[in-house]
Amino acid sequence: MMQTTDWRAGLGLRKAGIYYALLILLALLAGIAHSRGLPAYLSAQNLGNIAYQASLVGIMGVAMTVMLITGAFDLSVASVAALAAAVLVGLAPSIGFPLAALAAIVTAVSVGIFNGAIVQFVGINAFIVTLGTLTAVRGLVLVLTDGRSLMVEQPEVLQQMLAFESTRVPLFWPLLALAVALSAWAAFRRRILIGLAGLVVAGLALLAGQGFAVAAPVVYLALFTALVWAVLRFTVVGRRIYAVGGNAEAARLSGVNVHAYKLGAFILSSAAAGFAGVLFGCRLGAINPTALQGAELTVIASAILGGTSLFGGAGSVLKTVAGALLLFTLTNGFNVLDLGASYQGLIEGIVVIAAAAIYTVGGNRRRAA
Amino acid sequence: MVGAPLLQLAGVEKIWPNGTVALRGVDLTLHAGRVHGLLGANGAGKSTLIKVLAGAIPASGGTVAWRGELVRWASPRAARAAGVATIYQHIPLVPTLSVVENMLLERAGGWRADRAGCARAAQVASLLDNPFDLDALVGDLPIGTRQMVAIAQGLMADPALLIMDEPTASLAGHERERVYAVVRLLAAQGHAVLFVSHFLDEILSLTDEVTVLRDGRAVLHAQTADLDEAAIAAAIVGRSVTALERRPRAARAFSNPPPEGEGDQPQAGGGVLSTSDEARGALPLHHRLWRRSPSPSGGGLIENPPALELRDLGSPGKLAPTSLTVAAGEIVGIAGMLGSGRSELLHAIFGADPAARGAVLLHGKPIGRTPEEAVAAGVALVPEDRATQGFVAGMSVAENIALPRTGLFQSPVQEHEAALAAIERLAIKVQGPDAPVGELSGGNAQKVVIAKWLTPDTRLLLLDEPTAGIDIGARTDILRLIRGLADEGLPVLLVSSEFEELIGVCDRILVMRDGLVIAEVDPETTDEAALIQRASGNFPSTGMAA
Repeated sequence: MMQTTDWRAGLGLRKAGIYYALLILLALLAGIAHSRGLPAYLSAQNLGNIAYQASLVGIMGVAMTVMLITGAFDLSVASVAALAAAVLVGLAPSIGFPLAALAAIVTAVSVGIFNGAIVQFVGINAFIVTLGTLTAVRGLVLVLTDGRSLMVEQPEVLQQMLAFESTRVPLFWPLLALAVALSAWAAFRRRILIGLAGLVVAGLALLAGQGFAVAAPVVYLALFTALVWAVLRFTVVGRRIYAVGGNAEAARLSGVNVHAYKLGAFILSSAAAGFAGVLFGCRLGAINPTALQGAELTVIASAILGGTSLFGGAGSVLKTVAGALLLFTLTNGFNVLDLGASYQGLIEGIVVIAAAAIYTVGGNRRRAA
Repeated sequence: MVGAPLLQLAGVEKIWPNGTVALRGVDLTLHAGRVHGLLGANGAGKSTLIKVLAGAIPASGGTVAWRGELVRWASPRAARAAGVATIYQHIPLVPTLSVVENMLLERAGGWRADRAGCARAAQVASLLDNPFDLDALVGDLPIGTRQMVAIAQGLMADPALLIMDEPTASLAGHERERVYAVVRLLAAQGHAVLFVSHFLDEILSLTDEVTVLRDGRAVLHAQTADLDEAAIAAAIVGRSVTALERRPRAARAFSNPPPEGEGDQPQAGGGVLSTSDEARGALPLHHRLWRRSPSPSGGGLIENPPALELRDLGSPGKLAPTSLTVAAGEIVGIAGMLGSGRSELLHAIFGADPAARGAVLLHGKPIGRTPEEAVAAGVALVPEDRATQGFVAGMSVAENIALPRTGLFQSPVQEHEAALAAIERLAIKVQGPDAPVGELSGGNAQKVVIAKWLTPDTRLLLLDEPTAGIDIGARTDILRLIRGLADEGLPVLLVSSEFEELIGVCDRILVMRDGLVIAEVDPETTDEAALIQRASGNFPSTGMAA
């Protein structure tokens, strides 16, 4: 009996609303494309594109979700990503791609340690500290690039970078395997929701066809999301991350090293931003000093769309990725269908507020019940 | 003797929507120019009565007559307009505003600091003999001066009645004197004062009349001059039933071992909870659910150190250097009022107070000075305020119980079983292990907080007010459990404001006041009234703990 109420709640608006919103939006855009006689909107090609466009924000969003769960905040991710890209593009010609990528991520992590140490040990609010690093790190990018675009000119290094970022990975068989694994797990544990997820994955794979392939960043996003999801869901570290955000004092008095967890979240956030920056640098083989400006707000909007609480203690990385996909589906739809780019920001903003309203009102009802 | 009463309560009742009866018909008469003391144990109904008087909650029955007319205040604003000012225990001031702006907070009008208001504030300040600078930021003031600001704020509307809820509970000695002086001054100026306090000595020296509440009834009305501390303490305690029967000492396997471990006690040393195979079947569930790793210090020692030893453990400004020992299986009670240093002592032992200095030895081994190291060494703390320190409201019962567990992976099946076992063992009323703790009642949530530590890895149990705000049934469950754990060999330190509980379950009781252990008493030869007297009176230190 517990099980039935459990999966019904799992399909409710509050728990699964972001997935419904994504599906409804896709259906709506497909309908508009059809009625205007445009090429099919729901093609494997276009869906792969949306995922590709969402991948960088998705990677940062997953780490941001962990950050928000612990009750902190990181505004500096986009600047850190730009810094990592600048380090990569600046160093790759002289020390090669792998070492330059490592240097980029180490740079990013050191910004995270700086953020986290100041927040934890000086006790300044994370919003203020990361607002400061948002500006300062962007300034550092300008200094490093001397205000101009940098680019990698050695063909062999460029080749390596493109291979890292633009290789297309065939996904048909992996998706089918994932669907089978999910269904098997669902059957074994009698979990209806997981079975549904398996069906959706299988349907997607069959819809996309045997030649379905996506760019590498989509795979990186999927692997990173799966890893973080598993850590949050299955490990003691995961539980303690939620406990630190849910009630830091109770966690501390239960023997949890709250400082280490909060610092770790800053490091994870910056490392993910560094990795996203590496991917961004590889995409063009170049970096413009204003690259990714404002992307931190899209990252946070993804997490909010996914229902992550800004007060800590609650959040899901899968839903954050769905939130990022939803935002990029909106962008993609406006471009592909030529719906007038001027409306895009207006609609996106309304969607974020509407989502937050649904979560808040739903949450209040639940508390009252 | 005096004129017509200012305020007269007759048969005031308060029944909460969930059926809890807080007030069962209280009569209370206050006169202008007199200080009226209100006392009672925790849960006696003092706070509820104050809220009714302040207009914060409506009474369920009875009448309130103000200057001879029946009134029914619907909001705090209405009560204030009538002339009742209430100063709550947790001083609700805005720390980022100046003193004068805090005093003007309730004032309507357009300007931020109108001239008339500022003049009134200055007048009130001079009335109180200018204890503060009107332009100082409240956040910069010491706690005693903030109390003065709160009093000044209450006096802004020139109330006829001033209600003060434990105004001295968090103050040091000289700061208390200033509050006393102000109370005497106000009474002399014709205000009525209702003074709520835990401290018997200040009630005796300050008030003209006394009312004692017990279980929602006023059980004593008297002129202070006719009373002494013992009479008041007896009225506070009453003939209330004792939740636990004390068992004779001889019947307890582990109580009161000789002061310096003699070496022949099988339970002393590290292995108090280790279980032989024959014994395992007879032990409670939790022993079977968690297998305990063999204790490194167990066996083979000729001289067994005490289970817990504190050496000069202190924290500047909060806790004087304290040395004491607790034997395996012993429950040591700590009796003290709010702010006596009782919670600070437990936090210092647990490593949760970074300023604490001194050594804590568990079975002869020093333990680290952070909560993580303390937990790793087997120290468990059930904190005072369960909602803000004890549980994570959004997490399920099973997850909260599993919170101190270490290791890499969660083990849902085992955790589920452990939660089921705890629910059964502690009689937690909950739908199941997956229910969020935030939805449980106080007593059940507290049981979850305790259940968190019911593992064989726990080698010292620190309990801070484990029964506060809990109904009598759950309270008895919890006390029985504590006694049972001690009988299995666990050393326990128990802080409680319910001295009756301490007498019921403890092997000895330490009395604390002002950050200092001032006495050690034997629960078999003391009673609650005597304990209240010791913890709340200015008694000379008779038996400083070694």
